[in-house]
Amino acid sequence: MLQEESDLSLIIAQIVQKLKGSNLYSQLERQAWASLQRPEIKLESLKEDIKEFFKISGWEKKLQNAVYGELSVFPLPSHPAAPPEHLKEPLVYMRKAQGSWEKRILKSLNSMCTELSIPLARKRPVGEQKELLNKWNEMGTDEPDLSLFRPVYAPKDFLEVLINLRNPNYENGDSLSFRTHLGLIQIPLKVKDIPELKECFVELGLNTGQLGIDDSTQVPPELFENEHVRIGQKVLAEQDSAAAQQYIRQGSPTALRAELWALILNISSEPEDVLYYEQLKTNVIQHDLLVDSLIYKDVKLTASNDDYYFVFEDYLYQVLLCFSRDTSVLSHFAYNSASPPKSYIRGKLGLEEYAVFYPPNGVIPFHGFSMYVAPLCFLYHEPSKLYQIFREMYVRFFFRLHSISSHPSGIVSLCLLFETLLQTYLPQLFYHLREIGAQPLRISFKWMVRAFSGYLATDQLLLLWDRILGYNSLEILAVLAAAVFAFRAVNLMEVTSLAAAEVMRNNRRIIIWCGIPVYTLLKLE
Amino acid sequence: MAGKVKWVTDIEKSVLINNFEKRGWVQVTENEDWNFYWMSVQTIRNVFSVETGYRLSDDQIVNHFPNHYELTRKDLMVKNIKRYRKELEKEGSPLAEKDENGKYLYLDFVPVTYMLPADYNLFVEEFRKSPSSTWIMKPCGKAQGKGIFLINKLSQIKKWSRDSKTSSFVSQSNKEAYVISLYINNPLLIGGRKFDLRLYVLVSTYRPLRCYMYKLGFCRFCTVKYTPSTSELDNMFVHLTNVAIQKHGDDYNHIHGGKWMVSNLRLYLESTRGKEVTSKLFDEIHWIIVQSLKAVAVNASPSLTSSTANDRILKYNLINDTLNIVVPNGEIPDCKWNKSPPKEVLGNYEILYDEELAQGDGADRELRSRQGQSQGPRAGRSRDSGRTVLTTWK
Repeated sequence: MLQEESDLSLIIAQIVQKLKGSNLYSQLERQAWASLQRPEIKLESLKEDIKEFFKISGWEKKLQNAVYGELSVFPLPSHPAAPPEHLKEPLVYMRKAQGSWEKRILKSLNSMCTELSIPLARKRPVGEQKELLNKWNEMGTDEPDLSLFRPVYAPKDFLEVLINLRNPNYENGDSLSFRTHLGLIQIPLKVKDIPELKECFVELGLNTGQLGIDDSTQVPPELFENEHVRIGQKVLAEQDSAAAQQYIRQGSPTALRAELWALILNISSEPEDVLYYEQLKTNVIQHDLLVDSLIYKDVKLTASNDDYYFVFEDYLYQVLLCFSRDTSVLSHFAYNSASPPKSYIRGKLGLEEYAVFYPPNGVIPFHGFSMYVAPLCFLYHEPSKLYQIFREMYVRFFFRLHSISSHPSGIVSLCLLFETLLQTYLPQLFYHLREIGAQPLRISFKWMVRAFSGYLATDQLLLLWDRILGYNSLEILAVLAAAVFAFRAVNLMEVTSLAAAEVMRNNRRIIIWCGIPVYTLLKLE
Repeated sequence: MAGKVKWVTDIEKSVLINNFEKRGWVQVTENEDWNFYWMSVQTIRNVFSVETGYRLSDDQIVNHFPNHYELTRKDLMVKNIKRYRKELEKEGSPLAEKDENGKYLYLDFVPVTYMLPADYNLFVEEFRKSPSSTWIMKPCGKAQGKGIFLINKLSQIKKWSRDSKTSSFVSQSNKEAYVISLYINNPLLIGGRKFDLRLYVLVSTYRPLRCYMYKLGFCRFCTVKYTPSTSELDNMFVHLTNVAIQKHGDDYNHIHGGKWMVSNLRLYLESTRGKEVTSKLFDEIHWIIVQSLKAVAVNASPSLTSSTANDRILKYNLINDTLNIVVPNGEIPDCKWNKSPPKEVLGNYEILYDEELAQGDGADRELRSRQGQSQGPRAGRSRDSGRTVLTTWK
């Protein structure tokens, strides 16, 4: 008990420390000072009166939401004496693997730089700045020559790295047994099995109403939909993050989604936030970064050709270019196994005073990165709000999809979860696909890395992302991937090559509601 | 006698022919005995023109109504709507109600429009009332965006004034007749771009009016950002959304063709503006369609050319569903049928309006099921009471 208590007080201390530097703290302070004017605040009972005032005025709720938000990203309690690397990633071999992966990426970036003789960063001449400012809302019409640029890496490159991951302390043994993992990932991480998943995702069970199934036109709205919408409106009225997160596990009504996500992610558009975004925009105007070209190329290759997202092309530039200049993103590296690439001012290699992070936000985009932003354009059309939501989604969830770690929501665990589910519950299918050289993970990897963006119709994708927010976990991606295979098991059994399996899977969109396959899978137990 | 449906067409498009063949229908020539003729606009004109005196027999179906050109020409369409409104007013119908400024409450869906050169003087009077406004000129007999341009100065349409000033006898070839409408320069923009809607409506009978709307309509986006600035009036890529025009722009994309499914539009609007407003928008769109049909207004030749792969699939399915509705069970057409097809064959069509049903008790239920969502309380909105009146009104 003592240990738990001290764990708790440690967490509390850390959260207080974190919040002390936030905007909310200064707002609360100001409110407290201002409240002294109020007649109900008495000197004898100052503390209680101010607390009461906060409760009534809704500030307590805001504080609650902020604390709740911090808890959502807070790493699991660890020993107070643990070094900061453990917060990023406790397992040494994972840290090492991430480190060498990063070195490779950086090398690739640097060589592109040298080949093309383009600096990593340069200040724009005034004329160019003016031009860019004029074109800010239609950067999509710009046609810079991007033919020489190539994405720094694509998901399949990353997959190869993961396949080669090994725990040096673990001896698999050469002999095959029924316990041998047939998949590509050979790391002994703990992943949930179906009974555990069922317990975890209890709201996705057959006895609970779901949006996406129970609001179809065949089902009378009185049965579920109307009540669900009513509760959602109530949750929004209360402005309660925790309640919103619980509520959204059953899916969000379209009209309420934008607000609900903002509430769960604790995003409020204060003037300071808009100002901050404008500042980032100024940075973009003044300096040109090599990664900008990578971003352009990525958008042109992916979102511009997508029949759902092409409309929002210009928003994507406005968000992603600003994102790479945002140094506040650096703070998430405290709990990300990755580290921001460091670069040195010319001629000062190795001298820490001359080190800068490159890009300023420490995140190098890969092929398909812009697809993390695209679906959000359906919800937010105000650039600074869109920006804030994306940034928060990235530092809470998306970063885990392209860094090597042992976290249960990290991509390695997701791959393992996917393969284990398939092997355990659809062994015949798994074995067949493996035999024809079509390892299932090779097909589903890109779905998971992109959180299914571009692989599901937008309305279904948003329902899926509702659940990511609701359960504060990415495991649902692996479950959905496995469920898709389960759903198409019969057809897949007849496939005779990887290419054919790919074609079958890549009919531009997986046109089934994600819930149905999840049910299918959860019923397998 | 159950024979095979015999078909003819003079439009060589795969989306048509594949659909006929998959039903096992038999291709014949137009001189033979045929049941189903998918005609081009030219052929329709010949078939139904007064001179040829051709009469369809009871077991023949064609793909256009004889008066279709009343609807395809913009000037006739405007005339029809204006006449329809006046008729309703004369009958004292609640639909023709006006507000204190004389604007129609429920039938105000056509911007101020004049025929040129006939109404030139009337137009000038209107133009002078708001001289900074922009107007759009559209040739009456053309489609696919051809010949359209914007003006904001009288001098730009001098040509049409000369004709009307001269003697009343002027050979006005139809090609030079234009309609001029007030240009709406604050359209809804998505991603900063203007778009329009391409919706497919099938009319199986006019009396009683039975029409269906295809659920998979689409939005067509301009490739260039919208700007109301006068310097861009000439830039057709900014203002006209027809694919035929956009196709030649630098940024035209052949994968999606600048098209968005209407369901995306709905999702976007619901997410950013709320459900009520979105439902109202779609209701009003449906309303306009039905009223226009009643005034008799339909475009004769939707493009059957497919610009993208998705497009081809869409049009194939569209024709498929169309044929299922008008030739149910692949039986040889008989004009004496009661042509109300069962729900299962609708495919991706939904009933837009069925006059027979509307005249029965099922009016309200029909309205609700068409919209596919709960109505919710709509007490204090007079607009909707107007709607319910329609469905019970014959």
